[in-house]
Amino acid sequence: MITLIYRGIIGLVLVFTVWNLFTEEKVTNQANAALVVIPMILRLLMIK
Amino acid sequence: MMKKNTITGAICLVLALAIATVTGINFIELKNPGDIIPGPGVSEVHMLSEYFDGIAGTNGDTEIYVMQGKKPGGKVLILGGTHGNEPSGYMSAITFIENAVVDEGTVYVIPYTNRSGMTHNDAQEASPQYIHFSNKDGAVRTFRYGSRATNPIDQWPDPDVYVHAASGQTLSGSETRNINRAYPGVENGNLTEKVAYAITQMIKAENVNLTFDLHEASPEYPVINATVSHEKGMSVASVGLMELQFAGISMALEPSPVNLHGLTHRELGDYTDTIPLLMETANASQGRLRGATNEALALTGIDKAYEKSAELGMLYVPYDENGHPIEERVGRHLQGIIEYTKSYSEQYADAPVSFSNVPGYAELFTDSDGSDLGGARLGQYLN
Repeated sequence: MITLIYRGIIGLVLVFTVWNLFTEEKVTNQANAALVVIPMILRLLMIK
Repeated sequence: MMKKNTITGAICLVLALAIATVTGINFIELKNPGDIIPGPGVSEVHMLSEYFDGIAGTNGDTEIYVMQGKKPGGKVLILGGTHGNEPSGYMSAITFIENAVVDEGTVYVIPYTNRSGMTHNDAQEASPQYIHFSNKDGAVRTFRYGSRATNPIDQWPDPDVYVHAASGQTLSGSETRNINRAYPGVENGNLTEKVAYAITQMIKAENVNLTFDLHEASPEYPVINATVSHEKGMSVASVGLMELQFAGISMALEPSPVNLHGLTHRELGDYTDTIPLLMETANASQGRLRGATNEALALTGIDKAYEKSAELGMLYVPYDENGHPIEERVGRHLQGIIEYTKSYSEQYADAPVSFSNVPGYAELFTDSDGSDLGGARLGQYLN
């Protein structure tokens, strides 16, 4: 159960981060979002 | 038409994915300690988990190369890679696998004893990730430079204090990942203890008579250019050591301390019938007094900081501008295996072990004019 909650939180933050990735006006913020997205995807899929 | 920030966002995502892919592949490759090309003497390759399935499917499981002689005889086990940051240990085992032909008895070689330790580097040591050799055909052979301890990915966290299960001895918590503090091992322990347990079980199951554990040490460490023997191996070690001295190899003989637990030369002798011998050579790349740390240092041992340390009388080995090349260190180990095995076979005539085609100290080191030391000469003995 706790794993499902954990993955739910990760999924929610991932959605927000992807939203930022495509809506941020500054390229540096977009680059930050892109780098953060990768480990979050890995965590969501429980790969790392 | 797509908005500008949508396009730049997509570009950033593609770049991040590309970086993650490249680094991910590099990270996965770190798990391979180096491919071994068995020589003509290798008859079978087994996994250590065949002796204890508790390590099956883990990064602790490791290959055992079996070299069966034409005639029956005794059994010898060679352990390389107990500590992954001591390259002459596993390179000696690999050179043996790729060259030796066993005539009498059986030789088992485990080149990567703590396989997990070969897959990472010690933090804050600036160790090289790899060492390279050009083989006799000119192809590049690549091996990992690993860590003294099990990879924390495989075993974490460390306790504040490590308690050796069999004796109750307490050591620093980081030693819980040091396999040479874990013998005779624990069946239901952590990964390091389980691997040690598997090796102990293998020695018992195969009735191994003589076990070599190949190490390196910092030039400022007192037990260096030395053989450490369990008390029951003193007779074998003493005769072998005289032969090494005749061959021009300065070697000390140290008795295994009775109250220092978890090491091969103590516990394998106490808990099995094998005679355990541990050998040490001088490795600047793991020392505290070293200068720049890189692959060249691991292979040549050339280091001005150690030359200066020798002038100041701080070292336990001679040190000059020639360093201590990998050929000298591997040559010492292999010559040690040759002489101690001969000594064992003379003293235990009912269980002789003999082999040929193993390059010794002269072939690897003293016959060289110096121009091919530091990896090139050793590479000529790799397949």
